Amino acid sequence: MAASPTVSHSASPPASLIDQSLADRLAAIVGARRVLYRPSELLTYTADALPSYFKQPALAVFPGTRDEAVAVVRELAARGVPFVPRGAGTGLSGGALADGIVLVGLNRLTRVISVDPDNMTATVEPGVVNVALSRAVAAYGLHYAPDPSSQAACTIGGNVAENAGGPHCLKYGVTTNHILALEVILPSGEIVTLGGVDGENEGFDLVGSFVGSEGCFGIALAITVRLSRNPEAVRTLLADFMSIDAAAQTVSAIVATGIIPAALEMIDQATIRAVESSIYAAGYPTDAAAALLIELDGALAGLEHDVETVATHCRANGARTVRIARDEVERTRLWQGRKKAFGAMGRVSSHLVVQDAVVPRTKLPEVLAEIHNIGQRQRVKVCNVFHAGDGNLHPNIAYDASDADETARVHVAMREIMTLCVDAGGTITGEHGVGLDKLPYMDLIFSPDSLAAMCTLREVFDPERRSNPGKVVPVHACREWHMSPAARPTIGRSRA
Amino acid sequence: MAHVAGGASNNRAVARMTTLTVSSPANVRDHVRDASARGTALRIVGAGTWLDAGRPVRAVESLSTHGLSGIVDYVPGDLTLTALAGTSLAEIRQEAGKHNQWLALDPHGAEAGTLGATISTASAGPVVTAFGTPRDLVLGIEFVTGTGSVARAGGRVVKNVAGFDLTRLMTGSWGTLAVITEATVRLHACPQVDETIAVTIAGDAASVDQTRQLLRRLAFTPYACEVLSAPLAADAVGRNEPIVLFRMAGNMESVAAQRAALIELGEPFDVSPEAWTTLRAAEPPGAIVFRLSRHPSEIGTTWEEASRIVEGISGALLHATLARGVVRCIVPNASENVARLAIALANPVQSKRIGERLPEQLWAAAFPSRAMVGIGGRLKQAFDPRGVLNPGILGDPK
Repeated sequence: MAASPTVSHSASPPASLIDQSLADRLAAIVGARRVLYRPSELLTYTADALPSYFKQPALAVFPGTRDEAVAVVRELAARGVPFVPRGAGTGLSGGALADGIVLVGLNRLTRVISVDPDNMTATVEPGVVNVALSRAVAAYGLHYAPDPSSQAACTIGGNVAENAGGPHCLKYGVTTNHILALEVILPSGEIVTLGGVDGENEGFDLVGSFVGSEGCFGIALAITVRLSRNPEAVRTLLADFMSIDAAAQTVSAIVATGIIPAALEMIDQATIRAVESSIYAAGYPTDAAAALLIELDGALAGLEHDVETVATHCRANGARTVRIARDEVERTRLWQGRKKAFGAMGRVSSHLVVQDAVVPRTKLPEVLAEIHNIGQRQRVKVCNVFHAGDGNLHPNIAYDASDADETARVHVAMREIMTLCVDAGGTITGEHGVGLDKLPYMDLIFSPDSLAAMCTLREVFDPERRSNPGKVVPVHACREWHMSPAARPTIGRSRA
Repeated sequence: MAHVAGGASNNRAVARMTTLTVSSPANVRDHVRDASARGTALRIVGAGTWLDAGRPVRAVESLSTHGLSGIVDYVPGDLTLTALAGTSLAEIRQEAGKHNQWLALDPHGAEAGTLGATISTASAGPVVTAFGTPRDLVLGIEFVTGTGSVARAGGRVVKNVAGFDLTRLMTGSWGTLAVITEATVRLHACPQVDETIAVTIAGDAASVDQTRQLLRRLAFTPYACEVLSAPLAADAVGRNEPIVLFRMAGNMESVAAQRAALIELGEPFDVSPEAWTTLRAAEPPGAIVFRLSRHPSEIGTTWEEASRIVEGISGALLHATLARGVVRCIVPNASENVARLAIALANPVQSKRIGERLPEQLWAAAFPSRAMVGIGGRLKQAFDPRGVLNPGILGDPK
């Protein structure tokens, strides 16, 4: 493996790599306004949507065109400067944080380059916002299927980096199932085309290898996605249950019918109450132990039959009421409660940790019961709102970060929940990525040789490990380059 | 995975090799480490039903994963199944069928073919239309790299972004980076109704394109939709005229509506689902097989080009997967056919070409490999630095 000791990555770069001369050079490429290095200007970029990590970049640069992005990456390559690509900063794993290195913001690259309605594909720049892409192709009766809850803000480039999911991925698949081709600039500055749409591609699945690489393999400059037909009809159901067990059993019963719902989401009582007391109130019954939000879509013919089958299974498994949205307004309202659940929970306390893990679907009842026990034991309030159809849990804990004791208990609870999910045969992240947050858990599910194989793949794309260093694979497995104190940036800090 | 009686040179070459057999992933590891230490190239083999696929391999010994067989874990409620690489597709079908489930992979060839070979070659058949390729169905794998390192990627759950996606990298890598020893796949529940219907079409570019346009417009996605040339239709459904073969699934009302939507192509007629089995095993022993493809919207032109290339070749068969824009060409292996194809393919061909099973001279002349160029070559160097795994099958690093 290339991660053998013969490959040296321990050499520190010369001191002051990130200095005024770099800032000046980058400003010459993108304009002075688009290069930030004063700590006050960088505040926005010290965190992503997960409020657990804060890292100060030395400098942030925001190219406005593909050519500028290429020039920036090549300048960084020429100087051997490590960098972190960033989209909208809506990530939930600390993956887009730059600790004393350069942050390359791609949110200004917002061009939809081309749309091919006949072949149902579109090629976009990485900064195109997820929902904006669907809007751009709506006139053709098409949409981009993966729909992370942050879709109003997150970018396609970020979605590619994280292999983002979303509620509708149960039927339509996650990001990787929708990416057909990529134009990528490797950290070395080399530009490569991966995949293609003009016929079959022989050889390795380089697109599949790149998607989900969390910014460690380079920057996608152009992304060709598969679009999906807008369904002819959509039906949204809300079923509420007096026990979580009954809701979980219903999920398995529905999936066993062969009907694949477009989405199959579970919302527990704590979440329902948070939502119902917020501006996102969706009319969920606040006395229910859990509710299932179920969506069926596709051709109109036969859809009502499937709706009836699903409703029957809900009732047979103890649903108290099964409500079918009568119109688009009601449907939107039901979804808003789900999609804004994290926002609603934000009202409960000052801080919220959003967890992400996957368990085999049949393990949902016992895992949810044990999560409840963990919450009681650690005296923290765990809310569950998640993609039940594919076993993708999102236990969330609202807490007050200024309370050291509570914060400590939250972290213990989170670790216990992760261990629980792994022991149940699951995994540590279904859609948020590893980033910084899940690094300590990688050893729970992968052997040293498996992690080394990941490092080998990374080194093919980024032999110097300059792109998003220190993420995804734990340092000890990959012998990551560590920045020595002598290499600390000389820019920004002295001006604070 | 076709049943091959030894028509191709590749097959005979493998038959002469020393075969290393295994009964555990640890055996695979030991053999690969040993081969790596000796610098001995290995031909990686599953059930041995498809040995003449891919470019000629320069190997001294063959490593068979056939003994690495059996279902390791199957929880029907999770719709996931884990099996050793040498497990046959037939065994998986049988086991999943007991629970009214199935693995949505129907690669061309016999069901005796193994899960490992199907994944290694990313082989897909007609249901690719609705379910995608192995890349969309494999959830996790265990593999042994060219340096003899045993690693796992992915897992046994249907959604997973923990770590870099080595599962996708290895799927379709033709055993050139690692030997897959175990895999977890996603299963699907069987539909309430599953019907096979055919419609006769003219068989020219316009009629193929008309069918594609209909498919693009429909509010549903059939499980499969293949255009069959007349001689292939004669084998599959007993009518010697070009047809479109549809597999429609869902509830009764849905399937009835799907069927009704085909009227604009012609009068649909029922055919036995056996037609799919016939199609999967259509190629005669030792046949020459290759695929042409472009944008799906250009399938009419691609079909026309394929028809021109095989024109006048007795026994040539064509079928097209409309949703993917791919035409698969099957030509009986005879020296005059090889000569004809060499000439036809030497003329400018607009479609992308992918070889499945070809005589050596056609590989060299008409199917240049791009797999090992650039990043592909670097991957080979990184995962198999001694070049012991299937060297040559995807071309050589440049």
